[in-house]
Amino acid sequence: MPETVYIGPYRPQLVEPERFELLVEDGRIIDARLELGYMHRGIEKLFTTKTYMQNLALAERICGICSGIHTLCYAQTVERLMGIEVPERAKYLRCIYMELERLHSHYLWFGILAHSLHEHEAFLKIMGERERIQDLLEYLTGNRINYLINTIGGVRRDITPEKAEKIRKALRELKPLSDYIMSLLGDNGAFTKKIRGVGVLPRDKALEVGAVGPTLRGSGIVSDIRKDDPYAAYDKLDFEIIVEKDGDVWAKALVRARETYESMKIIEQALDNLPPGEIAVKPGEPKVGEEIGRTEAPRGELVYYIRSNGTNIPERVKVRTPSYANNFAILEMLRGERLENARAVIESIDPCFACTDRVTIVDTKTGKRKIVSLKQG
Amino acid sequence: MGKISVYRFLSAGCNGCDVQILECLVPRYRLANLGVEVVEKPEEANVLVLTGGVNVKGREYLLKTYEAIKPPKIVVAVGNCALTKEIFDKGYPMVGPPDQIIPVNYYIPGCPPRPQAIVKAIADILGVKIEEVEDYWQAPEGFRGKHEFDSEKCIGCGACAQICTADAIDVIDGPDKRIIRVNYGHCSFCAFCQDECPTQALRLTREYHLVTGDKERARVTNEVGLLSCAICGGVFFPEKQIDWALKRITLEKIPTYGEFSGEILDAMKVCTKCRRNIGNIRKAKGLLSKLSEKVRR
Repeated sequence: MPETVYIGPYRPQLVEPERFELLVEDGRIIDARLELGYMHRGIEKLFTTKTYMQNLALAERICGICSGIHTLCYAQTVERLMGIEVPERAKYLRCIYMELERLHSHYLWFGILAHSLHEHEAFLKIMGERERIQDLLEYLTGNRINYLINTIGGVRRDITPEKAEKIRKALRELKPLSDYIMSLLGDNGAFTKKIRGVGVLPRDKALEVGAVGPTLRGSGIVSDIRKDDPYAAYDKLDFEIIVEKDGDVWAKALVRARETYESMKIIEQALDNLPPGEIAVKPGEPKVGEEIGRTEAPRGELVYYIRSNGTNIPERVKVRTPSYANNFAILEMLRGERLENARAVIESIDPCFACTDRVTIVDTKTGKRKIVSLKQG
Repeated sequence: MGKISVYRFLSAGCNGCDVQILECLVPRYRLANLGVEVVEKPEEANVLVLTGGVNVKGREYLLKTYEAIKPPKIVVAVGNCALTKEIFDKGYPMVGPPDQIIPVNYYIPGCPPRPQAIVKAIADILGVKIEEVEDYWQAPEGFRGKHEFDSEKCIGCGACAQICTADAIDVIDGPDKRIIRVNYGHCSFCAFCQDECPTQALRLTREYHLVTGDKERARVTNEVGLLSCAICGGVFFPEKQIDWALKRITLEKIPTYGEFSGEILDAMKVCTKCRRNIGNIRKAKGLLSKLSEKVRR
């Protein structure tokens, strides 16, 4: 006889409030449903009440972890609407700031993974070392999160040679952390035992549910907006797209761990080739029309759609965040999984429900609900 | 009080503050030294830490959680969303900052507050002193913290209130003075006001220990004298802004107007209502023709 198990929103506590309804038989999950909305704030409506400039701060607060990439994607879309070209130096600076953000986001994910696998020592070590990058971001931008570094037409703060030296130093100090994480994911690593073969998302299923980012790359599919549709200065920088075939939580973790090295490579290259010049141009007038922009956030592809009516306030802003696309991958991964692994699976896509809860979620198919009501009856 | 067990309740926010609370657990911030532990069940906790504003869906959970925690039921609101909903203030699903639903004892402003600020606030609540010897306890150069007015420089133009992304700056006109009020408990710390200020009077300092028991006190104000209209005598405009505008016209923009500065000043001292008065229109036209004559020559 199957029984229904609820995870969240507040008991047991996940990293963020969300509610999973799992149908369990003999300790194995046979179906899963997701309920969102605990962090819904009505952001897309708020976008149409503020000016283009003010909306930068709002776009940033969609998510408090990958906040920089939201402003970049928004700013790039608005720049296209205004028809302005960003200075070359600003493009390189944007790459540097965004890769620093990817580093802090990936390390945070490993910290949370360690927390959910009850590896307390690893959690403290990863989070402790991660402070270096937080200190660095605070020093470069003026805030730890929500740094508002990208603006319409460029970036707000320059990187002086003195600052560049600090970045290089921090990267040198962070390499051992990435090595440590790789050792946890090695053949006899503490993480490997717990997450190898858990929550498998096969290649065809990953495509079917529309997964993005490391979740997709962990299933063996080569996809990265930085290469597919280059923005900022990514077309001039040399880096690899990391892909793993296995599709389990371990593969997703390995993708992220190897990506931290790539991010460091990108930052070092960008610092070496930083062109001189202005860091921002003045924003122009938005022309009537619509534009779409996309970037590779730490969690995957981020899409912004903006419609302008020629005034200084956008008429419509639509955001498709990576966590929203990956949510359906969680449900797929949970099916057939053992109940005790559920939490690791849920954490594996690096869900950011602050990102997702801008939109009203429509209930899943009615067929699924029937199973639940049968049990209740 | 003895041991502190913290249960964190995350409501509708960007979860940036939640990450900061997670970072407080790192040994270097010495949260564990204070005898603080983070628990996963509200029944085991005696301190509730809130982040984010509350939306319609989170409301009942917040009430249930507050019921469940043990006395003395100390509630700490972390971050500006938990103080005032900040930038999401006018969002349709928001039912209010947490203190409209449950009593809140302490507020920690910031967007997000630094982990140092959270740890220091908890230490303050416990009455323990932390040594802040390491350099990371001091905010770096260029940090965007509490606001500061240079009352000498501020001309009261209100440009900061216009650009403000979170409606945190109020311009209040009284009978003889204008008050510019920055509610830093409502601020998103984007520093657009600092960039936009024409006289560099408003500045974001490196001060970040902002814990308070009364969120109404999380304010910085500046007063500017208002000028009376030369014709009707009603107050209408900050005195300093007129001086600033006159200097800009006659010294920076068009130096040839210098000799008419007295007349230009008289024209500017007339309120918008009296400017439509027929006598004044004739006078203004006369001045304009004199000025254009000057430019032509």
